[in-house]
Amino acid sequence: MKSIRYSSALLTLALVFLFTASTALAQDQAHTKTPASAIQILMVQSDEVKLPIEFQLALYENLIDQVQKTNKFQHVYRAGDTAAANAAGLVILRSNVYGFKKGSEGKRQVTTVAGATQIKVHCLFTDQAGKTELAQDVTGNVRFVGGNLRATLDFAKKVAQIAVTNF
Amino acid sequence: MHEPEVQSEIPDPLDEEKSNMRMLQAYTTLFAASVIAMGAGSLAAPCLAQDANTGNATSFAGTKHVLGLQGLKHNASGTLAAENGSLVFTKGKKKVVVPAASIQEVMTGKDTERTIGGTVGTLTMFAPYGGGRFLSLFRSKIDMLSIEYLDPSGGLHGAIFTLPAGSALGAKKALLSQGATTSFPVEMEAAAQAKPKEKKQ
Repeated sequence: MKSIRYSSALLTLALVFLFTASTALAQDQAHTKTPASAIQILMVQSDEVKLPIEFQLALYENLIDQVQKTNKFQHVYRAGDTAAANAAGLVILRSNVYGFKKGSEGKRQVTTVAGATQIKVHCLFTDQAGKTELAQDVTGNVRFVGGNLRATLDFAKKVAQIAVTNF
Repeated sequence: MHEPEVQSEIPDPLDEEKSNMRMLQAYTTLFAASVIAMGAGSLAAPCLAQDANTGNATSFAGTKHVLGLQGLKHNASGTLAAENGSLVFTKGKKKVVVPAASIQEVMTGKDTERTIGGTVGTLTMFAPYGGGRFLSLFRSKIDMLSIEYLDPSGGLHGAIFTLPAGSALGAKKALLSQGATTSFPVEMEAAAQAKPKEKKQ
């Protein structure tokens, strides 16, 4: 009888602990999300590596496309957009490429293992005052199907997902 | 009574061999013709672009809009033109106009693409005995044209086009003549692109 009492008490305690922990985790997650109703995406910079202009533009345009597709923000502003200055709850995304390896589509299709294209980008989300909200390194790859510029789409999809998770 | 003629239905082995030979010849001819057509196509494309130059307006047929223009799908093929102080990209009935004065940067580059691309190109990857991989070795040279422009509210846009090989510098010149600006003049870009060729000689 005693053992049954002990085990039932332990089970109850465990259930209470699990419930409390999951509630606390959910509250934590809710707290980490920063409310933002608008985002401004600045032109992708490449201070450390030489990045072909078509990659720079593709990164920028795909970022805007993918963030717009999430419907997370009421407004997605481009770099230089004058309307962004008066936007409330604005988050600014700055991206800086620090690693770039241009592969070969032909090699990828012939060998399936060689010729991958990789772009490493440091992404910084700040508020209007310049205070950092989130900083994260994101890598865009294309390993098999598609041209080299497809790596920029992979990167943009990942950043859009980060924005959805954190704002 | 008239007896019906009975035809022998047993095939002559010599005839069968001849027909097989003819089939083989036909296949070989078709293959050779398709290879020649692929080669000729890649050579003929720049000529079409050069012939399209008429008067003040300059147009480049066979241009592909990779991304960036508003209201147009990615990888849409059409005609790029520099006319009336604007860049005009036409795909069927759709027309996108970007004022040349709003273009801040025009850059060109070179690349290659699969000769057999698109959906057919993807489907060839399932061909048996590595046929798709073999076909992906056939590549044609292309030129890339990238532009940066501003919309009326000051927002920065980028657009990328691919053109037949040898056309991008002409397109850049045409855009600059319409009022676009660049930080890298055409002469410098032409010299930079010609350098690797000099090294080979």
